[in-house]
Amino acid sequence: MENLHFKEYFKNFLYDLNDFITIYENTLHVFNYDKLNKMSDNEIILTIKEKKILINGENLKIKQMTKQELLIKGKILKVEFIYE
Amino acid sequence: MNKLVWVKINSGNYFKVMSRLNNIGISLYDNKKYKDYILIETTYEDYEKIQKYLISYKTEIYAETGFKKVKNFIKKYLIFTIASVISILILFIANNTIFKIEVKSNNKNIRELVKDELKQYNLKPLRQKINHKKIETIVKEILDNNKDLLEWLEIEYDGLVMNVYVTEKVIPKEDEPKDFCNIIAKSDAKITNINLYRGVLIKEVNDYVTKGDIIISGEVTYNEEVKNNVCASGEVYGEVWYKVKVTVPFKEDYIEYTGKNRYNFNVRINDNKYRILKSRIKNKKEEETNLYKLNDFEINLVKEREYVNKTRTISEEEAYNKAISLAEEKVKLKLKEKEDILVKKVLKKEVNNSTIYLEVFIATKENIGVESLQKENDGSDNGNNTQNNQ
Repeated sequence: MENLHFKEYFKNFLYDLNDFITIYENTLHVFNYDKLNKMSDNEIILTIKEKKILINGENLKIKQMTKQELLIKGKILKVEFIYE
Repeated sequence: MNKLVWVKINSGNYFKVMSRLNNIGISLYDNKKYKDYILIETTYEDYEKIQKYLISYKTEIYAETGFKKVKNFIKKYLIFTIASVISILILFIANNTIFKIEVKSNNKNIRELVKDELKQYNLKPLRQKINHKKIETIVKEILDNNKDLLEWLEIEYDGLVMNVYVTEKVIPKEDEPKDFCNIIAKSDAKITNINLYRGVLIKEVNDYVTKGDIIISGEVTYNEEVKNNVCASGEVYGEVWYKVKVTVPFKEDYIEYTGKNRYNFNVRINDNKYRILKSRIKNKKEEETNLYKLNDFEINLVKEREYVNKTRTISEEEAYNKAISLAEEKVKLKLKEKEDILVKKVLKKEVNNSTIYLEVFIATKENIGVESLQKENDGSDNGNNTQNNQ
């Protein structure tokens, strides 16, 4: 019987998106960001498609970082768009 | 994936560094934050970029990963690594090499025969061991080739030694003429002691015998008629006399050590000795100290002591004593166990400008009886008397 790779299908479906943010427990994964604007222990501001996103939390730290992806560790309290 | 490296960046401002790294497009696979510095895991290519663009920070490679780490470890501990590799290699080679072949047989001819046969299959010292299956084939072939001589053959390894157990084929002997033997005197002597084990005693203690005289006979007679023949056996000790001529010069050569010593190593495999380092001393005496020994494999430390040859003049008394010692040594060379010098006396002494000449009489206690094999109805004496009086 052929296996139904639901997880893989779902992953492919998500990665077809141009950009997304995934929140896990104490971890935040950002895919396809444009710019890292500001960083501190409790606040990170980044730009995705000309929209600024504010991440609030405690003891925030960049765990992994490439040109496309960011993995932020720490206690995530709030993620919101900033409208100027 | 590109090879990764841990880079140390000396800065306490974690977020500023991260921001800078992000600006120049550095990929970060892990990082650790400390009070005065930050450790980041990145690629070598990115590390070069950091060195190029982050010039305001002091950066250095903290630790390497993967093949590069192994490569650098080997580079750092090169001697240790080489020694380990060589040791493992030697162990492997030694474990798969035959250092000695021992053929277990009392018959020398059989031993030689089996060794020659094994050589044809390239089984000789310092050759590679072969597996059990091949051994079985070789054993079968050797037995087939020597059906008349070999009954059974087995080969087994005992460490570095290859033991070959051989059973010789016993061929029933046809009736041979019955032999007997006498004990005869090997030299002129006065008999001092006789231990008779078998045969008929012909001579007594204190009798004088000349070379070839029968002392113990193998012919058992009764009423002057030979009843039986045996191989006579016994020990006959007698007083044997020698006249030894010795000339000793007053000039004597001797060696003097210069105090210059060199150390070397040698490896002995079976009876072959291999020197490790080249010797730079021409005239030398060597003293060996064993460092390692396993069966017939030895490693020795060799102390080479340099000497020079010198000549000195000795007094007449020294030369006289030396001549007496030399005469004794000459005789002692012929003596065996339980044999000794009884008396010595100088018969003649001549001194000239450069030498002293002595004729020394020496009486010894020796086993003078030798077995002399004789065929029945044959009076020939096959005894071997090797004594030559001087």
